[in-house]
Amino acid sequence: MAAREYHRLTRARPRARFALISAGSTSLWLGKDHLLSIDSTGYTESYKRFYFRDIQAFFLRKTEGQKWVGLILAVLVGLFFFPAALGEGPVRIVFGTGAAIFLLAFLLNLALGPACSCQLRTAVQVEELPSLVRIRRARKILERLRPLISAAQGELRREDIPLRFQEWSHGPIADTAAIPRSVVEDPNAPPRTI
Amino acid sequence: MTSFALLCPKCKAPLAEGVLNLSDLTPCTVCAAPLQVEIFPAFFRRMAAGRDGDLVLVEGESTCFYHPQKKAALPCEGCGRFLCALCDCELHGQHFCPACLEVGRKKGKIKSLENQRTLYDSIALSLALLPLLIFYLTFITAPAALFIAIRYWKAPRSLVHRSQIRLVLAMIFASLQIFGWATALYFMKAR
Repeated sequence: MAAREYHRLTRARPRARFALISAGSTSLWLGKDHLLSIDSTGYTESYKRFYFRDIQAFFLRKTEGQKWVGLILAVLVGLFFFPAALGEGPVRIVFGTGAAIFLLAFLLNLALGPACSCQLRTAVQVEELPSLVRIRRARKILERLRPLISAAQGELRREDIPLRFQEWSHGPIADTAAIPRSVVEDPNAPPRTI
Repeated sequence: MTSFALLCPKCKAPLAEGVLNLSDLTPCTVCAAPLQVEIFPAFFRRMAAGRDGDLVLVEGESTCFYHPQKKAALPCEGCGRFLCALCDCELHGQHFCPACLEVGRKKGKIKSLENQRTLYDSIALSLALLPLLIFYLTFITAPAALFIAIRYWKAPRSLVHRSQIRLVLAMIFASLQIFGWATALYFMKAR
Protein backbone atom coordinates (compact mmCIF):
# COMPACT_ATOMS: atom_id res chain seq x y z
CA MET A 1 0.00 0.00 0.00
CA ALA A 2 1.39 3.40 -1.00
CA ALA A 3 2.24 5.83 1.79
CA ARG A 4 -0.32 8.53 2.32
CA GLU A 5 0.65 11.88 0.88
CA TYR A 6 -1.15 13.87 3.57
CA HIS A 7 -1.72 13.31 7.27
CA ARG A 8 -4.68 14.86 9.01
CA LEU A 9 -3.86 17.55 11.57
CA THR A 10 -7.36 18.79 12.38
CA ARG A 11 -10.86 17.52 11.77
CA ALA A 12 -13.08 19.45 9.36
CA ARG A 13 -14.62 22.35 11.25
CA PRO A 14 -17.44 24.64 10.13
CA ARG A 15 -16.19 27.85 8.58
CA ALA A 16 -18.81 29.93 10.38
CA ARG A 17 -18.72 29.29 14.11
CA PHE A 18 -22.47 29.45 14.81
CA ALA A 19 -23.77 28.30 11.44
CA LEU A 20 -26.94 26.24 11.80
CA ILE A 21 -26.94 25.13 8.20
CA SER A 22 -23.38 24.21 7.21
CA ALA A 23 -21.59 26.95 5.28
CA GLY A 24 -18.68 24.66 4.47
CA SER A 25 -15.79 23.41 6.52
CA THR A 26 -12.04 23.74 6.75
CA SER A 27 -9.38 21.27 7.76
CA LEU A 28 -5.61 21.20 8.02
CA TRP A 29 -3.33 18.49 6.59
CA LEU A 30 0.38 17.87 6.78
CA GLY A 31 2.23 17.21 3.53
CA LYS A 32 5.85 16.35 2.85
CA ASP A 33 7.02 19.94 2.46
CA HIS A 34 3.92 21.96 3.12
CA LEU A 35 0.82 22.50 5.18
CA LEU A 36 -2.43 22.07 3.26
CA SER A 37 -5.57 23.95 4.23
CA ILE A 38 -8.74 22.53 2.69
CA ASP A 39 -11.84 24.65 2.40
CA SER A 40 -14.73 22.38 1.51
CA THR A 41 -18.35 23.03 0.58
CA GLY A 42 -19.09 19.30 0.59
CA TYR A 43 -19.08 19.15 -3.21
CA THR A 44 -15.95 21.15 -4.01
CA GLU A 45 -12.64 21.59 -2.25
CA SER A 46 -10.30 24.59 -2.41
CA TYR A 47 -6.70 24.11 -1.47
CA LYS A 48 -4.14 26.45 0.03
CA ARG A 49 -0.57 25.29 0.45
CA PHE A 50 1.85 26.84 2.92
CA TYR A 51 5.35 25.62 2.19
CA PHE A 52 7.55 25.20 5.24
CA ARG A 53 10.28 27.32 3.64
CA ASP A 54 7.83 30.24 3.28
CA ILE A 55 6.20 30.33 6.71
CA GLN A 56 7.34 33.48 8.49
CA ALA A 57 5.28 33.51 11.64
CA PHE A 58 2.57 31.72 13.54
CA PHE A 59 0.13 33.68 15.71
CA LEU A 60 -1.99 32.16 18.43
CA ARG A 61 -4.47 34.37 20.30
CA LYS A 62 -6.52 33.17 23.23
CA THR A 63 -10.22 33.97 22.80
CA GLU A 64 -13.26 33.85 25.04
CA GLY A 65 -14.96 31.20 22.90
CA GLN A 66 -14.80 28.45 25.50
CA LYS A 67 -16.38 30.67 28.18
CA TRP A 68 -19.28 31.74 25.96
CA VAL A 69 -19.98 28.24 24.68
CA GLY A 70 -19.75 26.95 28.27
CA LEU A 71 -22.19 29.61 29.48
CA ILE A 72 -24.73 28.83 26.74
CA LEU A 73 -24.47 25.10 27.42
CA ALA A 74 -24.83 25.63 31.18
CA VAL A 75 -28.02 27.66 30.62
CA LEU A 76 -29.38 24.90 28.35
CA VAL A 77 -28.55 22.24 30.94
CA GLY A 78 -30.47 24.31 33.52
CA LEU A 79 -33.44 24.83 31.20
CA PHE A 80 -33.73 21.10 30.54
CA PHE A 81 -32.85 19.91 34.03
CA PHE A 82 -35.63 21.63 36.00
CA PRO A 83 -38.58 20.34 33.91
CA ALA A 84 -36.91 16.89 34.06
CA ALA A 85 -36.61 17.09 37.85
CA LEU A 86 -40.14 18.39 38.39
CA GLY A 87 -41.95 16.43 35.64
CA GLU A 88 -42.99 12.81 35.45
CA GLY A 89 -43.20 10.07 32.85
CA PRO A 90 -42.37 11.06 29.23
CA VAL A 91 -41.66 14.71 30.18
CA ARG A 92 -38.95 13.57 32.55
CA ILE A 93 -37.45 11.23 29.92
CA VAL A 94 -37.45 13.85 27.12
CA PHE A 95 -36.07 16.72 29.20
CA GLY A 96 -33.70 14.41 31.08
CA THR A 97 -32.20 13.20 27.81
CA GLY A 98 -31.83 16.80 26.62
CA ALA A 99 -30.15 17.82 29.90
CA ALA A 100 -27.77 14.83 29.68
CA ILE A 101 -26.78 15.70 26.08
CA PHE A 102 -26.08 19.35 26.95
CA LEU A 103 -24.21 18.33 30.11
CA LEU A 104 -22.03 16.04 28.02
CA ALA A 105 -21.35 18.88 25.55
CA PHE A 106 -20.57 21.20 28.49
CA LEU A 107 -18.05 18.74 29.93
CA LEU A 108 -16.51 18.16 26.51
CA ASN A 109 -16.11 21.90 26.05
CA LEU A 110 -14.35 22.08 29.42
CA ALA A 111 -12.11 19.14 28.60
CA LEU A 112 -11.00 20.60 25.26
CA GLY A 113 -9.52 23.60 27.07
CA PRO A 114 -9.35 27.32 26.22
CA ALA A 115 -10.26 28.51 22.73
CA CYS A 116 -8.02 30.41 20.38
CA SER A 117 -7.71 31.82 16.89
CA CYS A 118 -4.63 31.13 14.80
CA GLN A 119 -2.97 32.92 11.92
CA LEU A 120 -0.10 32.01 9.70
CA ARG A 121 2.07 34.63 7.99
CA THR A 122 4.08 34.26 4.82
CA ALA A 123 5.78 36.96 2.72
CA VAL A 124 2.59 37.69 0.82
CA GLN A 125 -0.33 36.84 3.11
CA VAL A 126 -1.65 36.52 6.63
CA GLU A 127 -4.00 33.55 6.63
CA GLU A 128 -6.53 32.71 9.31
CA LEU A 129 -6.63 29.00 10.24
CA PRO A 130 -10.26 28.46 11.28
CA SER A 131 -9.76 24.76 11.90
CA LEU A 132 -7.47 25.50 14.85
CA VAL A 133 -9.76 26.64 17.65
CA ARG A 134 -8.26 25.20 20.82
CA ILE A 135 -4.95 26.26 22.34
CA ARG A 136 -3.90 22.75 23.31
CA ARG A 137 -4.44 21.40 19.80
CA ALA A 138 -2.78 24.45 18.19
CA ARG A 139 0.30 24.02 20.37
CA LYS A 140 0.52 20.33 19.55
CA ILE A 141 0.44 21.16 15.86
CA LEU A 142 3.01 23.94 16.31
CA GLU A 143 5.26 21.43 18.11
CA ARG A 144 4.90 19.10 15.15
CA LEU A 145 5.56 21.83 12.60
CA ARG A 146 8.53 23.46 14.33
CA PRO A 147 11.14 20.81 13.41
CA LEU A 148 9.83 20.65 9.84
CA ILE A 149 10.06 24.43 9.45
CA SER A 150 13.50 24.43 11.08
CA ALA A 151 14.64 21.74 8.65
CA ALA A 152 13.50 23.90 5.74
CA GLN A 153 14.67 27.30 7.04
CA GLY A 154 17.18 26.71 9.82
CA GLU A 155 16.97 27.43 13.53
CA LEU A 156 16.04 30.79 15.04
CA ARG A 157 16.86 30.99 18.72
CA ARG A 158 15.03 33.49 20.88
CA GLU A 159 18.26 35.22 21.96
CA ASP A 160 19.18 35.77 18.29
CA ILE A 161 16.01 37.68 17.46
CA PRO A 162 17.18 41.20 18.54
CA LEU A 163 20.38 40.73 16.52
CA ARG A 164 18.45 39.56 13.46
CA PHE A 165 16.19 42.61 13.73
CA GLN A 166 19.26 44.85 13.86
CA GLU A 167 20.85 43.11 10.88
CA TRP A 168 17.64 43.35 8.95
CA SER A 169 17.28 47.08 9.45
CA HIS A 170 20.90 47.74 8.36
CA GLY A 171 21.24 44.99 5.75
CA PRO A 172 21.21 45.11 1.93
CA ILE A 173 17.94 45.81 0.14
CA ALA A 174 17.86 42.56 -1.81
CA ASP A 175 19.64 39.27 -1.59
CA THR A 176 21.22 39.39 -5.03
CA ALA A 177 23.46 36.42 -4.31
CA ALA A 178 20.42 34.19 -4.37
CA ILE A 179 19.55 35.10 -7.95
CA PRO A 180 20.74 32.46 -10.43
CA ARG A 181 23.04 33.60 -13.25
CA SER A 182 23.51 32.07 -16.66
CA VAL A 183 26.67 31.50 -18.69
CA VAL A 184 26.77 31.19 -22.50
CA GLU A 185 29.31 28.57 -23.49
CA ASP A 186 27.92 27.69 -26.89
CA PRO A 187 25.88 30.26 -28.86
CA ASN A 188 23.73 27.48 -30.34
CA ALA A 189 22.90 25.90 -27.01
CA PRO A 190 20.90 27.38 -24.16
CA PRO A 191 23.06 29.08 -21.55
CA ARG A 192 23.93 27.13 -18.44
CA THR A 193 22.39 28.36 -15.18
CA ILE A 194 24.86 28.73 -12.31
CA MET B 1 5.62 42.60 1.51
CA THR B 2 8.41 44.82 2.79
CA SER B 3 6.58 45.76 5.97
CA PHE B 4 8.61 44.64 8.92
CA ALA B 5 5.96 45.09 11.53
CA LEU B 6 4.36 42.13 13.21
CA LEU B 7 0.88 43.25 14.13
CA CYS B 8 -1.34 42.07 16.94
CA PRO B 9 -4.11 39.94 15.33
CA LYS B 10 -6.71 41.71 17.49
CA CYS B 11 -5.82 45.42 17.71
CA LYS B 12 -3.38 45.56 14.74
CA ALA B 13 -0.82 47.41 16.85
CA PRO B 14 2.86 46.59 16.19
CA LEU B 15 4.15 43.91 18.53
CA ALA B 16 7.26 44.34 20.66
CA GLU B 17 10.26 42.01 20.20
CA GLY B 18 9.78 40.82 23.77
CA VAL B 19 6.62 38.87 22.99
CA LEU B 20 8.21 36.78 20.22
CA ASN B 21 9.04 33.07 20.45
CA LEU B 22 7.96 32.66 24.06
CA SER B 23 6.63 29.30 25.12
CA ASP B 24 3.57 30.77 26.86
CA LEU B 25 0.88 33.35 26.24
CA THR B 26 1.94 36.99 26.69
CA PRO B 27 -0.44 39.95 26.70
CA CYS B 28 -0.29 42.43 23.83
CA THR B 29 1.11 45.70 25.16
CA VAL B 30 -1.81 47.67 23.67
CA CYS B 31 -4.99 45.54 23.93
CA ALA B 32 -3.78 42.96 26.47
CA ALA B 33 -5.00 40.08 24.27
CA PRO B 34 -3.10 36.93 25.31
CA LEU B 35 -0.80 36.03 22.42
CA GLN B 36 1.81 33.50 21.46
CA VAL B 37 3.81 34.57 18.43
CA GLU B 38 6.46 32.37 16.89
CA ILE B 39 8.63 33.73 14.10
CA PHE B 40 10.91 31.74 11.82
CA PRO B 41 14.06 32.65 9.83
CA ALA B 42 11.96 33.28 6.69
CA PHE B 43 10.67 36.38 8.45
CA PHE B 44 14.08 38.00 7.98
CA ARG B 45 14.55 36.80 4.43
CA ARG B 46 14.29 39.51 1.84
CA MET B 47 12.48 38.82 -1.38
CA ALA B 48 14.87 38.47 -4.30
CA ALA B 49 14.46 41.06 -7.02
CA GLY B 50 12.96 39.66 -10.21
CA ARG B 51 15.11 39.30 -13.33
CA ASP B 52 14.08 40.75 -16.66
CA GLY B 53 16.43 38.79 -18.95
CA ASP B 54 19.62 39.89 -20.70
CA LEU B 55 19.52 41.36 -24.19
CA VAL B 56 21.17 39.51 -27.09
CA LEU B 57 24.57 41.07 -27.80
CA VAL B 58 26.13 38.54 -30.18
CA GLU B 59 24.39 37.52 -33.38
CA GLY B 60 23.55 33.81 -33.49
CA GLU B 61 23.01 33.50 -29.78
CA SER B 62 20.05 31.43 -28.65
CA THR B 63 17.07 33.63 -27.91
CA CYS B 64 13.93 33.35 -25.87
CA PHE B 65 10.93 31.89 -27.75
CA TYR B 66 8.66 34.60 -26.38
CA HIS B 67 11.16 37.50 -26.46
CA PRO B 68 13.39 37.20 -29.55
CA GLN B 69 15.51 40.15 -28.43
CA LYS B 70 16.47 38.44 -25.14
CA LYS B 71 19.03 35.74 -24.43
CA ALA B 72 17.80 32.26 -23.71
CA ALA B 73 18.62 31.25 -20.18
CA LEU B 74 17.33 27.67 -20.16
CA PRO B 75 14.83 25.37 -21.89
CA CYS B 76 11.28 24.77 -20.65
CA GLU B 77 11.02 21.28 -19.16
CA GLY B 78 7.51 20.95 -20.51
CA CYS B 79 7.83 21.91 -24.18
CA GLY B 80 11.58 22.41 -24.64
CA ARG B 81 11.28 26.01 -25.84
CA PHE B 82 14.14 28.34 -24.93
CA LEU B 83 13.25 30.84 -22.24
CA CYS B 84 14.78 34.07 -21.01
CA ALA B 85 15.03 34.79 -17.29
CA LEU B 86 11.76 36.74 -17.45
CA CYS B 87 9.78 33.80 -18.87
CA ASP B 88 11.37 31.19 -16.62
CA CYS B 89 8.88 30.00 -13.99
CA GLU B 90 10.56 27.81 -11.42
CA LEU B 91 8.45 25.25 -9.61
CA HIS B 92 10.07 22.85 -7.14
CA GLY B 93 13.38 22.92 -9.02
CA GLN B 94 11.77 22.49 -12.45
CA HIS B 95 11.65 25.26 -15.03
CA PHE B 96 8.55 25.89 -17.16
CA CYS B 97 7.34 28.51 -19.58
CA PRO B 98 4.15 30.39 -18.56
CA ALA B 99 2.11 28.52 -21.22
CA CYS B 100 3.13 25.06 -19.93
CA LEU B 101 2.46 26.18 -16.38
CA GLU B 102 -1.03 27.35 -17.32
CA VAL B 103 -1.79 24.15 -19.26
CA GLY B 104 -0.44 22.06 -16.38
CA ARG B 105 -2.64 23.92 -13.92
CA LYS B 106 -5.79 23.67 -16.05
CA LYS B 107 -5.38 20.00 -16.88
CA GLY B 108 -4.29 19.09 -13.37
CA LYS B 109 -0.96 17.74 -14.61
CA ILE B 110 1.00 19.76 -12.06
CA LYS B 111 -0.52 18.59 -8.81
CA SER B 112 1.05 21.27 -6.66
CA LEU B 113 -0.74 23.99 -8.68
CA GLU B 114 -4.18 22.47 -8.28
CA ASN B 115 -6.23 24.69 -6.04
CA GLN B 116 -9.70 23.28 -6.52
CA ARG B 117 -11.39 19.93 -7.11
CA THR B 118 -14.97 18.90 -7.61
CA LEU B 119 -16.02 15.94 -5.47
CA TYR B 120 -18.11 13.95 -7.95
CA ASP B 121 -18.39 11.05 -5.50
CA SER B 122 -20.17 13.29 -2.96
CA ILE B 123 -22.41 14.73 -5.67
CA ALA B 124 -23.39 11.25 -6.87
CA LEU B 125 -24.10 10.02 -3.34
CA SER B 126 -26.16 13.09 -2.45
CA LEU B 127 -28.10 12.72 -5.68
CA ALA B 128 -28.78 9.09 -4.82
CA LEU B 129 -29.82 9.68 -1.20
CA LEU B 130 -31.25 13.17 -0.59
CA PRO B 131 -34.14 12.95 -3.08
CA LEU B 132 -35.48 9.94 -1.15
CA LEU B 133 -37.15 12.53 1.10
CA ILE B 134 -39.40 13.43 -1.84
CA PHE B 135 -39.60 10.01 -3.44
CA TYR B 136 -40.98 11.09 -6.83
CA LEU B 137 -37.78 13.03 -7.53
CA THR B 138 -35.81 9.79 -7.64
CA PHE B 139 -37.35 9.05 -11.05
CA ILE B 140 -34.97 11.69 -12.44
CA THR B 141 -32.19 11.78 -9.86
CA ALA B 142 -31.45 8.03 -9.70
CA PRO B 143 -30.38 7.79 -13.38
CA ALA B 144 -28.49 11.07 -12.95
CA ALA B 145 -26.63 9.68 -9.89
CA LEU B 146 -25.81 6.48 -11.77
CA PHE B 147 -24.57 8.48 -14.77
CA ILE B 148 -22.31 10.66 -12.60
CA ALA B 149 -20.94 7.62 -10.74
CA ILE B 150 -20.03 5.88 -14.01
CA ARG B 151 -18.88 8.99 -15.90
CA TYR B 152 -16.57 10.17 -13.10
CA TRP B 153 -15.42 6.76 -11.84
CA LYS B 154 -11.83 7.58 -12.73
CA ALA B 155 -11.99 11.34 -12.07
CA PRO B 156 -9.59 12.54 -9.36
CA ARG B 157 -11.25 12.66 -5.98
CA SER B 158 -10.15 14.74 -3.01
CA LEU B 159 -6.46 15.60 -2.83
CA VAL B 160 -6.31 13.92 0.56
CA HIS B 161 -6.89 10.19 0.77
CA ARG B 162 -10.42 9.15 -0.14
CA SER B 163 -11.77 5.78 -1.21
CA GLN B 164 -14.35 5.03 -3.90
CA ILE B 165 -16.95 3.95 -1.36
CA ARG B 166 -19.19 6.96 -2.08
CA LEU B 167 -19.32 6.13 -5.77
CA VAL B 168 -20.03 2.46 -5.02
CA LEU B 169 -22.83 3.38 -2.59
CA ALA B 170 -24.26 5.90 -5.07
CA MET B 171 -24.35 3.21 -7.76
CA ILE B 172 -26.02 0.69 -5.43
CA PHE B 173 -28.71 3.12 -4.20
CA ALA B 174 -29.34 4.55 -7.67
CA SER B 175 -29.62 1.04 -9.17
CA LEU B 176 -32.07 -0.01 -6.44
CA GLN B 177 -34.21 3.07 -7.10
CA ILE B 178 -34.20 2.46 -10.84
CA PHE B 179 -35.12 -1.18 -10.23
CA GLY B 180 -37.93 -0.06 -7.93
CA TRP B 181 -39.30 2.34 -10.54
CA ALA B 182 -39.04 -0.29 -13.29
CA THR B 183 -40.91 -2.83 -11.17
CA ALA B 184 -43.60 -0.31 -10.23
CA LEU B 185 -44.09 0.72 -13.86
CA TYR B 186 -44.23 -2.93 -14.97
CA PHE B 187 -46.99 -3.78 -12.47
CA MET B 188 -48.92 -0.61 -13.27
CA LYS B 189 -48.85 -1.53 -16.95
CA ALA B 190 -49.78 -5.15 -16.25
CA ARG B 191 -52.75 -4.05 -14.14
